[in-house]
Amino acid sequence: MLGVMLIAPCVLIFCAVIVYPLVSAVYLSLFNIFTPTLQGNFVGLQNYAELFAGEEFWRSLLNTLIWTVCTLFLQVVLGVAAALMLHQAIVFRALARSLILFPYFVSTVVAVLVWRWLFNDLYGILNHLMMWSGLLQMPLDWLGSMPNAMVSIVLVGAWKYFPFVVIAILARLQTIPDQLYEAATIDGAGAWSRFTDVTLPQLKDVLMVVVLLRAIWDFKEFDLIYLMTGGGPLIATQTLPLMVYKEAFGLDAMGRATAVAVAMMAVMLVFMVLYLRRMGKEEAR
Amino acid sequence: MTETTRSGLSRRSLGTALGAGAMALAAPGGARAQTPTTLRWWSPQTAPAQREAYNFQIRTFEEANPGVRVVFEATSDEGYPAQMAAAFASGQVPSVVTHLPHFAVATYWQNGLLEPFNDVIDMIGTSNFYDGANRIYEITQGQYAGTGIGNSAANMMWLRKDLMQRANIAEAPRTWDQLRDACRRMQGGGVFGAPLPYARNSMTSLIFICFVHGAGGNIFSPDLQVTVDSDAFRNALEFYKSMRELCPPGATNYSWGESLTAFVAGATATGIYTGRVLANVAAQNPRIADHVTCARYPTISTNVAPWTFNDFPSVMIPKVAPNIALAKRFAAHLFRADGYIRQLHAAPGHVLPVLKTISAMPQYQENALIQKYRAEVDLMSESAAAGHNLGWESPRHRPNTAAGRIIASHVLAEAVQRYVINNEPMAAVVSTTAQRLEALMRG
Repeated sequence: MLGVMLIAPCVLIFCAVIVYPLVSAVYLSLFNIFTPTLQGNFVGLQNYAELFAGEEFWRSLLNTLIWTVCTLFLQVVLGVAAALMLHQAIVFRALARSLILFPYFVSTVVAVLVWRWLFNDLYGILNHLMMWSGLLQMPLDWLGSMPNAMVSIVLVGAWKYFPFVVIAILARLQTIPDQLYEAATIDGAGAWSRFTDVTLPQLKDVLMVVVLLRAIWDFKEFDLIYLMTGGGPLIATQTLPLMVYKEAFGLDAMGRATAVAVAMMAVMLVFMVLYLRRMGKEEAR
Repeated sequence: MTETTRSGLSRRSLGTALGAGAMALAAPGGARAQTPTTLRWWSPQTAPAQREAYNFQIRTFEEANPGVRVVFEATSDEGYPAQMAAAFASGQVPSVVTHLPHFAVATYWQNGLLEPFNDVIDMIGTSNFYDGANRIYEITQGQYAGTGIGNSAANMMWLRKDLMQRANIAEAPRTWDQLRDACRRMQGGGVFGAPLPYARNSMTSLIFICFVHGAGGNIFSPDLQVTVDSDAFRNALEFYKSMRELCPPGATNYSWGESLTAFVAGATATGIYTGRVLANVAAQNPRIADHVTCARYPTISTNVAPWTFNDFPSVMIPKVAPNIALAKRFAAHLFRADGYIRQLHAAPGHVLPVLKTISAMPQYQENALIQKYRAEVDLMSESAAAGHNLGWESPRHRPNTAAGRIIASHVLAEAVQRYVINNEPMAAVVSTTAQRLEALMRG
């Protein structure tokens, strides 16, 4: 009895913040609900049937995967490279370590405004420089045509979030014992070998956590993409969170929106389980 | 020695304050009556000059109603559907909402979300309105869903007379062929022909509807059957596509703000917007102020009359808003001459008066921009008076209460993008658009 009483607060909190919203979401997805009034009727699995039968969900899922994989890859590459650089004894290292965090701290709205201005067709510095240098004859449409729009949001996403990788990797780099590098050097390892045989294995655990967290966050990214392209042109950059928003507040179909959200959660869960199992197997090896 | 907290309060005074607070909370309603009653006012029209006018209207209302506080909260043309949906769903609705297009009012009314506006119209004075000004708000016989706070002529064609002269163009284009030819001749040297939107947003949908009407067609028949499988719809798509090369590359992302700025900044030879162009040119690019004029947007041929898009900027009150009676008084207060004229003068020609009593007032006429651009303002007023929108495509049409949902779905903007940007076959675009519109009409 005492054991039950002691664990009860934890279970109650878990139910309130995890189980209840989850069950509510699944429950709502079985209804056809008009958002402003929250009135609706039970439709069973019809929302899911329509969702999976239509092209929009699959295209949005593909966009979400492209966005997540590409921006995550760039974040990790840039983040590791920057962390390695900042780990060296360079001039103004403390200042550089502070400044590199700037994109992560700046508000997404402000960052997007700045980038939209840079990408602007008429007054943007990017087009101006490319035309001035002779790379372009006419301004490039960075955000309104494909594949430019997807490339643009991936680049901005990588710029915005790579400092998170830098923070995590840099912290780990500082704890790798110097003796490992000394031993590797004595064994004749060059710089590349020291990186692949000493640094990377040491970074593996932290990289696993970073990739897991950033993948979850990137998968459900909304504000940056919505503000950059609104999901356009057409639905070429529309990810699942944007589809949820459009269904819930554009089309006032809260039931369908919740169905997308539930499907999105299921997809994320599948990827996370696969990822964790693979990492677990590698560790066991 | 009295122990003091970090904020400098003694424990005794802190205890007294907490005790007083607790007593105030426990006191009966009468003792709490001093708490100001708050009204929340939402609008997507938030230019600095307009905010100044709103502040004046709020101040005068608060002075006349002690104990009442009015808070202005901004929404946006692209963002209001989501904000309103969330507000209605949560029950945390604003007291008064202004400047949303009339078709949004129709949608909310149809779903039983609005308070009837008859009282407010009576307070303003029915006879003060232009004849028939409130007809489109009478969605249910004898009950008004809202009223207009102004008129707008959103698809006026703005022209640069200096560029026209340089290109040897004597008159404003009247037909699409003439417009395309004029844009070609004026384009060059960093200036594009037109800032038409090709984005997946409400502006593209709304402007494209103007082109369908400019081709002599409709989106819906008078009894609200989908009619996009028509020559007019195809011709409009074809023309819109042909204009792409005359618009800036970034027009694929343009909404109202970008389109306006492109013309005002001198980056395009023509523009498509309301009278806000006048105030923006005067403030931001006075160099071209003497060369700017407007005309009704061209149509496919001289046989088709111009069609003006008037979104009938509205005033409405959500049914579950607290202090309904006070909210109605505030809504009526917005039409009081001193404040209303300030609001109209904040962007002369952008929002045009719906009260004939105001139009006739010297205080309204004496604005410098209205006087400088008298012909343009008169043309916009005349065009707006005969204007329509998707919620009411012609005098023969029934009110379309699904118009708000159709615009928010971006179906029409997507038709433009499919045909113009993706180069999808016309037949497929028309067919998909028709099917999606029918599905939206079914709800």
